[in-house]
Amino acid sequence: MLKAHIIKKRRELSVDVQLNLDQGCCLGLFGASGAGKSTVLACVAGIEEPDDGYVEVGDLKFFPPSLPLYKRTIGYLTQEPGLFPHLSVSENISFGIPREQASEREQIDWIATLRDRLQLSALWNAPASLISGGQARRVSLARMLARKPPVVLLDEPFAGLDRQLVRELIDDLIFWSQMIGFSMIAVDHQAEVLKRLCPQRVVVLEQGRVVQQGTWEELSRAPATPLLGSLLAPL
Amino acid sequence: MRGDRHWIARAGAAAFAIALLYPFSALFARVGAWQWSPDVRGPALASVRVSLLLTGLAMAIIITVGTPMAAYIARCRARERLVWQALLLIPILLPPLALGILMTLAFGPYGSLGAWLERYGIVMTNSATAFVATQVYVGMGYYVLGAVAALDAVPVMLQKQAALLGVTPMRVFLRVTLPLSKLGLAVALSLAWVRAIGEFGAVVVTAYYPSGMPIQLWVNLQSFGLPAVMPLLVVFLAVALPLPWLIHVLAQRQRHA
Repeated sequence: MLKAHIIKKRRELSVDVQLNLDQGCCLGLFGASGAGKSTVLACVAGIEEPDDGYVEVGDLKFFPPSLPLYKRTIGYLTQEPGLFPHLSVSENISFGIPREQASEREQIDWIATLRDRLQLSALWNAPASLISGGQARRVSLARMLARKPPVVLLDEPFAGLDRQLVRELIDDLIFWSQMIGFSMIAVDHQAEVLKRLCPQRVVVLEQGRVVQQGTWEELSRAPATPLLGSLLAPL
Repeated sequence: MRGDRHWIARAGAAAFAIALLYPFSALFARVGAWQWSPDVRGPALASVRVSLLLTGLAMAIIITVGTPMAAYIARCRARERLVWQALLLIPILLPPLALGILMTLAFGPYGSLGAWLERYGIVMTNSATAFVATQVYVGMGYYVLGAVAALDAVPVMLQKQAALLGVTPMRVFLRVTLPLSKLGLAVALSLAWVRAIGEFGAVVVTAYYPSGMPIQLWVNLQSFGLPAVMPLLVVFLAVALPLPWLIHVLAQRQRHA
């Protein structure tokens, strides 16, 4: 489904990471802050351009050459909700829906499902600039899901939220991933968040390199590096 | 003590503002009865028409050509951007009279481009075309530099997020970049407008005819004296100032909101 080899040299860090993701699976990218997780994800999304390597999603070649962002069939969620402040919540959510599709019955029902499940009815017509941080994350999630992307990239989208909201959002994501059947790469430096999102498979990065991959159990049993051991240890 | 200092600062600021606005008191100066006879009124109203129509046309050209240019510069790497901005500064920094002379030589019948244009009936001295061209040269730099700053203020990540939602670059510009930068663009345009509609030094060389308001003010001053200048001056201020002033005030308000 997704194959990527990201080579990106930065002044402070050199990233060289290979990833493979099957249809409908979830892959967690784990590591300390500054390990290169977000860089890998940004390169896959196209927010940054790799120096070398390749990115393929299904039959679509993202890189090289760099495919324009609007042709990339992915959903990308970051710490910043990135809502368009001049639009309402509903306009934000429908933003990526082509006009000719927006009036189709199926599309209308889908947006209504997202609205109800993510509890957005009360803010539906509110300006996006006036909603709270937690609400903005839910709107941002709905906006991403509105297009039913086959691959979803999550770059610490729950950072700074309270535990209850994080739990709700993770449950929502799991629900939608099963319903839509998208594949997912999630980045986080909190093991407990990533464990719930991607319980099966995790790739550990340190200094821009993969130091270990496997199940969470394997990681806990025999962490490849002392740093990983300390990241997995309870507080 | 602290309160006293605050009041002293405020009084200083008030004195500064009064000094800046003091020239406006001349509108009430005793220059004799204002003259608005038909021989003054006719050319004056014609000059208002010329200024509004042709400056409006110049602004349309500036927006059409300058906005894509500004969008391009706003996305350039730092070094390339510096080159474009340095180039755009040249017409801004050029003394208006020098610009007028250079334009007359470059586009007038003495230059090869001017001679070639004249063969197709496009006269680039003392014509509406020359008037508009001069205003475009005078205002373009102000608009593009201001527009670059306005477009720059729209977060790049927001535009990339929009693109990742499957929206083409043109639609991202129209639906995200433009709405979020519109006030900044309006400020840039208002600067270009004020600069162009009030231009005298360059226009007096390139397009004495058709006479716009600044030229007509000069003609009235020379031919009839101050009483014939004042009515047109009031019209000139009423046409040139309020809209740009309002846009700047709105922009400041939004910045501090």
